[in-house]
Amino acid sequence: MRTEDHRDRKLALGAYALGDLPPDERAAVAAHLEGCEECRAELRSLEGVAALLPLADPARIEGPAARPPADLGARIEAQIAAESAREGRQRRRRRFRLGVGGAVAAAAVAAVLAIAILPLGGGGAGESSPAQQVNFASLPNGVSINATLEPHAFGTEIEMYVSGIRSGTLCRVFLRDAKGRTYSAGSFRYRWGADSHAKLSSALDLSQAAEIGVHAGSRTFTAPVGQATALVGGADTAAT
Amino acid sequence: MGALTRERDVREAYAAHSGELYGFAVRSLGDAGLAEEAVQETFLRAWRAGDRFDPEIGSLRTWLFAILRNVVIDLGRARAARPRVAESGIEPSVEPFEQALLAWQVEEAMRRIGEDHRRVLLETHFRARPYSEVAAELGVPEGTIKSRVYYGLRALRVALEEMGYED
Ligand SMILES: [Zn+2]
Repeated sequence: MRTEDHRDRKLALGAYALGDLPPDERAAVAAHLEGCEECRAELRSLEGVAALLPLADPARIEGPAARPPADLGARIEAQIAAESAREGRQRRRRRFRLGVGGAVAAAAVAAVLAIAILPLGGGGAGESSPAQQVNFASLPNGVSINATLEPHAFGTEIEMYVSGIRSGTLCRVFLRDAKGRTYSAGSFRYRWGADSHAKLSSALDLSQAAEIGVHAGSRTFTAPVGQATALVGGADTAAT
Repeated sequence: MGALTRERDVREAYAAHSGELYGFAVRSLGDAGLAEEAVQETFLRAWRAGDRFDPEIGSLRTWLFAILRNVVIDLGRARAARPRVAESGIEPSVEPFEQALLAWQVEEAMRRIGEDHRRVLLETHFRARPYSEVAAELGVPEGTIKSRVYYGLRALRVALEEMGYED
């Protein structure tokens, strides 16, 4: 008898909190609340929510929920990747300047100079070709690819930043010289959720590189390197 | 998730929270294009300041909404600075943002609860229709409407708590 009363009164607490009950039922619930701690606690919890309800606009509740454009995430990612690539270069530059400019320890200076000079001496392929930043233009919406190319004794080190393509896509990177000969720089698999940044290397000397390209799945994106005129042509003989 | 310093962290944060941030930005700015801009800027700022995010101190969600709040205020200022709107000259203040955020959270919570509960709360509370009328329309006893109001409020509370609400 008493538990049944409690159950009914409890189920009326929502209407009670919202002030929807007719006077006689309201009085009955109030009387029950006097003697029921559980219902008093429940009412307190409902009253907080009931007080917020008037803030809402029913037209907005029933209207379709606003959803961000499907490519917004990829665009943000591309922007962050580009910024992160820029920052990485600045960090490298800062480090370099610190070593040379600071001249605190002769050993540090010597180490920096060795790194700077060795590739030129060892490469033997022409004069200094500083690191280059390459941005791939005319990409599909949301896709971002850029690369930093650094000259080394063995050839060219390539850091690639890719974003906005499908996770799991196999990316094969290559360099081409001015005659259209292709030199593989290796491959990586782009993973959504992993670092979108890969380190690769190609045997082609940076001073000889005219073009960099990526086969990403079934598509190929290319960008010119340096001042050399990009020549497209010749078979991709270096597929990995 | 620790500090928001890797690109992957941002990606995960985007997957988890972009819908809410965007939904609120649209409501707050009243413009889909501006809302997009606001969400983009929010994640960029979050990433740049990522090492300052400490999950021990607060949830990622709260942190992102705090950033969005600043972005929305900045965008509001930029918009107010445009000659066409300048005559109002009203500096966006803190109060409307908190109000708008709370209002949006209630609307979002209402969207998340079950259809039966939402329908009954909409008809009885927002349209102020008598319980008997709604009961007749839905073909259920009046007592059912009353209990749906009760369970609807409880569900609403849970949905709000998921969004960080506490009283
Ligand atoms: Zn009771």
